[in-house]
Amino acid sequence: MYPKAKQAWLLLAALVILALPPMQRFLEQSMVMHMLVQIPALVIIGWITGKILPENWKDNIAPWNRWGITGIALAIIIMTYWMLPRVQDAAISEWPVELTKFITVPIMGMALGISWPQLNPIAQGVLKLEFWATFMRLGWLYLDLPDRLCANYLLSDQRVFGQLLLLAGSIWAVAWTLRIMFGIRIVNT
Amino acid sequence: MSTTEVSSKIEYSDSEDRNALIAVKSHLIAGLLVFLLMMLAGLAMRAAQGTWLEIGADLFYQIMTVHGVGVVGAAMITSTGVQWYFLRQYVKLSNGVFWTNFFIFLTGVVLILGSIFVGKYGGAWTFLFPLPAISMGAWSTGAAAVFQLGLLVIGVGFLILYLDFGRAILARYGSLSRALGLTQLFGKEPVDYKHPAAVVASTMVLIVNFMGIAAGAVVLVMGLINLFYPEFKPDALLMKNLIYFFGHVVINATMYASVIAVYELLPRYTGRPWKTNKPFYAAWFAIVFMVMGVYPHHLLMDFPMPAWGLIVAQVLSFGSGIPVLVVTGYGALMIVYRSGIKWSTSAKLLFLSMFGWAAGVIPAILDAMVTVNRTFHNTLWVPGHFHFYLLLGLLPMLIGFAYFLAGEGDSKERPKAVDSFGFYAYLIGAFMTSMVFLASGANSIPRRWAAHLPEWIGFAQAGTIAASLVVLGMLLFIMRALISLPGANNPR
Repeated sequence: MYPKAKQAWLLLAALVILALPPMQRFLEQSMVMHMLVQIPALVIIGWITGKILPENWKDNIAPWNRWGITGIALAIIIMTYWMLPRVQDAAISEWPVELTKFITVPIMGMALGISWPQLNPIAQGVLKLEFWATFMRLGWLYLDLPDRLCANYLLSDQRVFGQLLLLAGSIWAVAWTLRIMFGIRIVNT
Repeated sequence: MSTTEVSSKIEYSDSEDRNALIAVKSHLIAGLLVFLLMMLAGLAMRAAQGTWLEIGADLFYQIMTVHGVGVVGAAMITSTGVQWYFLRQYVKLSNGVFWTNFFIFLTGVVLILGSIFVGKYGGAWTFLFPLPAISMGAWSTGAAAVFQLGLLVIGVGFLILYLDFGRAILARYGSLSRALGLTQLFGKEPVDYKHPAAVVASTMVLIVNFMGIAAGAVVLVMGLINLFYPEFKPDALLMKNLIYFFGHVVINATMYASVIAVYELLPRYTGRPWKTNKPFYAAWFAIVFMVMGVYPHHLLMDFPMPAWGLIVAQVLSFGSGIPVLVVTGYGALMIVYRSGIKWSTSAKLLFLSMFGWAAGVIPAILDAMVTVNRTFHNTLWVPGHFHFYLLLGLLPMLIGFAYFLAGEGDSKERPKAVDSFGFYAYLIGAFMTSMVFLASGANSIPRRWAAHLPEWIGFAQAGTIAASLVVLGMLLFIMRALISLPGANNPR
C-alpha cells in the first residue's frame, strides 16, 4: 500500500473512532476534554489530510488560494463560529450540529494545513500573536465570568478550562521567546 | 534583483530609496504636526487652569484625553520614522510594510479623534477599568469602545511593522541575541566595534514593544468585553497592571528608538565613529528587562499590589535610565569633546536631547520612591517629569533628525537666525514648562483637574506663558520642516 493511502486510512479510522458514541460521550463529558482534546484532534486530522491530498487536488485548489489567504480566512471563520459557547452546547444536544462540527472542524484544519505554509511570514506572525492573545483573553474570561457559558458544563469545569488556557498561553509565550531570542527550539511554534 | 548587500550596509534600488525617503518624511511631517496640535491642546488646558480661557469641564477632559494619547501616538510614529530610516541601512526592510503601518496608524487616529470629539469620550488615555463603562452620561459605551478599538488598530499596525523588523534582523543575524550583541558580550564571538548601534537599539525596541503590544492586545479586548457585557468584571488591579505595562513600555521605547539619531548623526557632525563595545551591549541588554520591569512605579499607591512588585519597581526605577543613558551620554560627550563640531541646529538639538534625557529622569527617580510617591503621585510633579523628558529629551532628537533630513545633513551650513530664535524659544519654553509643573507638584497642586483653586492659578498662568514659548519654537521648527523637508535630497 502507498504511504499516502495508508495515512489516509489511518486518518479516516481516527475520525471514525472520535465519532463513535462512547468516545464521543467520553470526550464531551467535560469542557476540558471537549475543547482541548476532541476539537484539536479534529483539527490535526484535517491538517494532516491537507498535507497528503493528491497533487492534482492541490493544483486545483491553488488558483483559489493565492498566498493562502482564502484558506486562512475560511479557517478563521470556522474557528470563530466554533468558539461560540452556545454552538458547543448545541453540538452536544443536537446531532445535526454535531455532524456539522465533525465536518467543518477538519475542513478548518485542512485549510490551515494547506494555507499556512503559503502565508506571508508577517501575516503568520500577526495570526500567531492573535491566537496567543485569544488563549489569554479566553482563559481570563473563563476564569472570571460569574455565569456558566455552556449549559452542559459546570462552573468549576469552566474555571479549570480557563486555567489550562492561561497555562498553554504562558508555555507558548516562553517557547516563542526562547526560540526568537536564543534560537532554542522546544516545540515548533 | 535590485537589492544587494555590500559590507555592513544594504543597498537598495534608486526607486526603493526614493520611496523610502518619501515615507520617512511623511512620518516626520505627520508626527511633528500632531505634536504641534497637542502642544496647542496643552496650552489651552494650562490657559483654562489659569482662568485665561473658558473651557467647560467636559471639553477639558476630552482635550486632556487627546493630548495624552496624541503625544504618545506622535512620539511612536515619528520615532519609528527615525528608527526605520537608519535600520533599513543594515537590514532589508520592506517599504510596503512601513507604509501599511502608516496608513493603519492614520485609521486608528481617525477612530480615536472621532471617539473623543464626536463621541465625547474623556476618560483619559489610560482607559482604566471601570471608568470607560461608567461615564454617568458624559460619553456613550460606543465612544469608549471606538477609542479602545482605535488603540487596538494602531497596535496591529505596529505589530506588523515589528514583525518585519524581526524578520529582517533574524534573516541577517540569525537570532535577536546576536543582533543585540550578546554573543560578543559573552565572548562567543570577537567584539565587532562596527556592529551597528541602530541594530542593537532596534532589537531592544522590537522586543519590548512586541511584549507591550501583546499585553495591550489582551487588555484592550477585555475592556471591550466589559463595555458590552458589564456582568464581566475583570480584576481591576490586573487590568491596571497590563494597561501600565503596555503604556509605559510603548512611550519609553520611543526614546530608545529615537536615540539612534544620536548614534548615527553625532559621528557625522564630529567626524568620529560611534563604536559599539561590551559596556554598550551590556547596557542595552539590561534595559530590555528594566523597561519592562519598572512599570509598577505607576502603581505604588495601589495598596493591594504585592510588596515585592513595588520594591522591584522602586529599585529598577532607580537604575532604569542609567545603563543606556550613561553609555550614550558619556559617548556623546567624548565624541563631541574637542572635535571641532559645527553647531548646526541639528547638532545642538541632538546634544540638548542628552541633557533633557539625563535631567528628565531625575524627577521620575524621586517619584519612584514609595515615600515620595505617596505625596507626589497625583500632583503635577508627574507631568513635570514627562514633559521634561519628552520636550527636552525626545523631541530634540526627532526635530534634530528632521533638520538633518531637511538639508543640514549635507550642507553643514550655519543655522539661520530664525532657527536659532526657534531653538532658544523652544529651549527656554520647554524648560520653564517642566519646571513650573515640578514646582506645582512640589506645592501639592493636583493633576488632571480642570478647575484650579485661586492659590494655584499663578502657577497655571506661568505655565501658560512657558507653553506659549514652546508652541512658538515648535511653530518655527514645523515651518522649516514643511518648507525644506519635502524637496530635500537624501543626505549622503
